[in-house]
Amino acid sequence: MPHLAAAFNLARWLTGNPADAQDVVQDAYLRAFRYFDSFRGGDFRVWLLSIVRNSFLTWVRDNRSGHLVFEPGLTDITGADSWADPTPGPEAILLEQLDRDTLTVLVAALPAEYREVLVLRELEDLSYKEIARIADVPVGTVMSRLARARRALRVAWHRHEAGKAAS
Amino acid sequence: MNHQTALRWLQAAVDRQVGPLRGFLLDRHVARCAICRAEQDRLLSMRTAIRATLEYHRAPPDLAARIGAALPREAPPESVPARSWRQPLGFSLAGALTGVALTGVALTLALTHPSPSRDTLVDEAVAGHVRSMLADHLTDIATSDRHTVKPWLSARLDFSPVTRDFATEGYPLVGGRLDYIAGRHAAALVYRRDKHVINLFVTVSDQPDAAPTLTQKDGFNVVSWRAGGLRYVAVSDVEPAQLQAFAALIRHPG
Repeated sequence: MPHLAAAFNLARWLTGNPADAQDVVQDAYLRAFRYFDSFRGGDFRVWLLSIVRNSFLTWVRDNRSGHLVFEPGLTDITGADSWADPTPGPEAILLEQLDRDTLTVLVAALPAEYREVLVLRELEDLSYKEIARIADVPVGTVMSRLARARRALRVAWHRHEAGKAAS
Repeated sequence: MNHQTALRWLQAAVDRQVGPLRGFLLDRHVARCAICRAEQDRLLSMRTAIRATLEYHRAPPDLAARIGAALPREAPPESVPARSWRQPLGFSLAGALTGVALTGVALTLALTHPSPSRDTLVDEAVAGHVRSMLADHLTDIATSDRHTVKPWLSARLDFSPVTRDFATEGYPLVGGRLDYIAGRHAAALVYRRDKHVINLFVTVSDQPDAAPTLTQKDGFNVVSWRAGGLRYVAVSDVEPAQLQAFAALIRHPG
């Protein structure tokens, strides 16, 4: 099964649980099989992951009616906000203590559109252009989403640390 | 480059998504700007932490079989000839997908989960591939005309490899070369896939026929098989699926 690992990992991060991820991945492979004629060459993994994303959207529509997962209008407005972090300071030491479970919780709490770009960039090591093809948005949107995703994660991480220090 | 623009591009630079000119202008600004340097450090440490820590969720072992069972059942891929330019990749997908449905998971897993190579022939084929690229010595005879390549190789080898151009399928033949792989004379047939080079090494083999297996070595994908007393090793940096589609074309020219 080509690129099953990448397909499952993305679906798992998007759905948030293994059972739904398996359903989404299975649906994606059935679609890939059915619509192979629409594959225009290029990177097969990118094509497959775009189908996984579509299957996820269908799953959201069928299972979580009314629950808006991707909120492009809210977060894709560019230029208005500062790109710099509100809490500057060397973080390398702090980040070294970041454990897997905490990071999983923090990333899982991000909006799906943020999880998506983070997973595709950091775990699949895809280029902005490839991510743009999968998420079906312009490259500039990928850039701004990634920036916001990282900033949101950083803020969540600082909050988590502050909460730990307070308790 | 002004400060706001630099801040905006820092992330892309950390992600290695910035071209050389913009990268140069950005570096020049960052060298003089403490704010940008601090932001760059934050981005880098964050990237390192995420890559080292963020979980890559593994698919359950039975998922491939489950998907395979859900796929529509069709004829085995061997009976599907490659007809159009789209076919070879379709072939690969259909092969991989129906393969699971029809013959179980083991074969497909062997094909799609590259294992580290322990085969001197594969090692030497990869070395030959790298050599041909580094020395800019891709072909001894550069032509897409198989009627030229074939006699040229046949005259220099004690066997006659199949030389076909698959330009319509997206794998044009660009030439041939003599090589020496694992103690045997080898024909190296050179194909292209987009801008990538595929070296197909063919040597005589006294082993029985064997189905294609995919391995990885030094970042290259290698598909090797044996058929009709010849050993074939295809080496390239193209995607595994494309190399498997190429192997399928060579094995079953339409």
